[in-house]
Amino acid sequence: MIPLSNAPADTPLKIVEIEGGHGVRRRLLSLGFHKNHVIEIDKRSILKGPILIKNRTSDMTVALGRGIAGKILVEVVE
Amino acid sequence: MNNQTDKNHPDIVFIGQPNAGKSTIFNALAGTKAETSNFPGTTVTHTHSHVNIFGRELNIIDLPGSYSLNPSDDGEKVALTHLFGEKPDVIVNVIDASTLGRSMELTLELIELEYPMVIALNMMDLAEKKGMTIRTEHLEKVLGVPVIPMTAVRGRGAKELLDACCDVLDQKKAPSFHPWSRDVEEKIEELMEALPPELPVVANKRFTAIKMIEAENLFFDVMLSELHPGLKEKLDNIRRDLKDRHDSEAYEVVAAERHHLALKYFEDCCTVKHGPQTGLLDRIDDVIMHPFLGYVILAAVFFLFFFIIFKVGNPLEELLLGPVAGVRSFLSAQFGTGILFYLFDGLTQGIVGGVAIVLPYLLPLLFLMSFLDDIGYLARAGFMMDTFMHRIGLHGKSVSPLMLGFGCNVPAIVSTRMLESRRDKVITALLIPFIPCSARTTIILALVAFYLGPLWAFGFYVGNLFLVALLSRIISFFFKSPSPGMILEIPSLKLPSLKNMLAKSYYQLKSFIRFAWPILIAGSVLLGLLQYFELDRVVNTLLSPLVEHALGLPKDLGVTLVFGFLRKELSLVMMLQALGVEYHGLMMVITRSQLVIFTIFISFFIPCISTVAILWKEIGRKIALLSVGLNIVVAVILSLIARFFLGL
Repeated sequence: MIPLSNAPADTPLKIVEIEGGHGVRRRLLSLGFHKNHVIEIDKRSILKGPILIKNRTSDMTVALGRGIAGKILVEVVE
Repeated sequence: MNNQTDKNHPDIVFIGQPNAGKSTIFNALAGTKAETSNFPGTTVTHTHSHVNIFGRELNIIDLPGSYSLNPSDDGEKVALTHLFGEKPDVIVNVIDASTLGRSMELTLELIELEYPMVIALNMMDLAEKKGMTIRTEHLEKVLGVPVIPMTAVRGRGAKELLDACCDVLDQKKAPSFHPWSRDVEEKIEELMEALPPELPVVANKRFTAIKMIEAENLFFDVMLSELHPGLKEKLDNIRRDLKDRHDSEAYEVVAAERHHLALKYFEDCCTVKHGPQTGLLDRIDDVIMHPFLGYVILAAVFFLFFFIIFKVGNPLEELLLGPVAGVRSFLSAQFGTGILFYLFDGLTQGIVGGVAIVLPYLLPLLFLMSFLDDIGYLARAGFMMDTFMHRIGLHGKSVSPLMLGFGCNVPAIVSTRMLESRRDKVITALLIPFIPCSARTTIILALVAFYLGPLWAFGFYVGNLFLVALLSRIISFFFKSPSPGMILEIPSLKLPSLKNMLAKSYYQLKSFIRFAWPILIAGSVLLGLLQYFELDRVVNTLLSPLVEHALGLPKDLGVTLVFGFLRKELSLVMMLQALGVEYHGLMMVITRSQLVIFTIFISFFIPCISTVAILWKEIGRKIALLSVGLNIVVAVILSLIARFFLGL
């Protein structure tokens, strides 16, 4: 289990746990981030910027700040 | 509660997730008659229109885009207040067919309301391109709600949608909720039975109970524990049971139920041909989001932005201001130097001043912004700028309000509504008055660029941006909690629709026309009176400690500061008038250093009166006053620094 911010790009990842405050969790839920969803890191911007996430299950692209990406725990789907 | 919509005619409410094309459908039906009205209790607006279709009069209401009925920004709160408070006659749920799976979560939540409802399944062309086949009849049967396939940008399906709305209205056909897992339903029923009869019910008992369970850690909970401690305890027990059984928070359990149901229906009603999906749009995305090329393009977009301000707006403005001099001499011939001259002169100056801001600067900028927004670039710019914004304590979503600020600070402050957290909203709103709006750009161009050269003006602009960055760091230092960070949906790129762009620009222009312009006109008239009664001398004397002693400027310039508060762009004209010189003779009465100090001071010292008023209205009195104080302090400090270095 690794935080999304440290996960490899272009690899299917499964959401295991979403940590953090209720506000952030609610926001992520309403944007389709549920446990067990398979997501992929699409592109990384330079200078340790935000991460672009492609949610394979809900078919949605969302930009997440690094802080928030660190609160989403994922595992690599073998 | 809301008296603005006429209750004699049925209300049709449009609701959908952001980027579902809701406004396109709304504009197609409502045309240009759409009215924006303030929602009682909040400052966020929704759009409504009164239409007459096939001899039927309908109120149609466009609510802000919402991902769910659990609000997280001000726009979503408006949507909720309206749905709960007004009980619309028909809900039209607009769905982007190409994202049917996740969009249905909101649909299911709306069905829980058990109000008459129609689904507008928009962007069918996009779904087809993605290889999706949606069996709409089956979807209709499964959901129990009429489903109208549409491609609104091409005008397909609008009539069918209206027909369906009328049918639903006539038959008062409301869907019934879709049951969830047995154990969750049991808990909901338990709470429903415990609801005391005097508790107000929203829509129906089940919906109320669900919303109560979901409201964990929100304001509602605090209120309930005050009013109904017994019920609160029951609610907490139910939440705990759900949490224990499902190993997640109760609100997450509820969301998961909806989610699973939506996925199941999606699989029932839609088949997706999987194939390589590297279409043209994906390839364009690869270029504009490229870690290097993307930033080059972003820089080009910013360049275009400033090009419009400097090279297009300025000459246009001069063309517009030419005839004003004619009006003035006409007025002076008519009224001499009596009070009527000053009144009418102030009036025309105010009206023309508004036109001179709107036509050359604001309209092109708003149009460009809505173009960038419509094709999906603004969200991408937010993504790419996030890194830099982070360094100054904000995040990518603040980019577009700040960009709007270059046109006019007033719509820029209105647009901070899209920021979810109060912290980000306050910081952004405090920064916007430091962004040189078109009126201040005029001064910088006329004084700095004309007398000292374009490089100085460029330097002034760059310095201004650094100042904004520095201030942002300082202000965010005072907020203990860090920014919650960016969560921003990146919609797929699409071709722009002219109708949408016009509607969006017009919507933002309205905040200027309705709000800033009247203040500007009143300010001009007030200035006219000030001159007539020769109060400028009093003002000069009052301000002389600041103007003469602290800043080292001629005492006569004191009154221009007051003008600057009422109307920034008038400061220049008033400066010449106060010094009694022509534009070209300016350098004979003041030095280059004085010119620089004056420009710095007038640019920053106080936001114009319209900006202060909109800050007051949108963010609150305290922040508006703080903003005024902050601007004065910054202007004084910067001018003193400039004075020191320029050796005055």
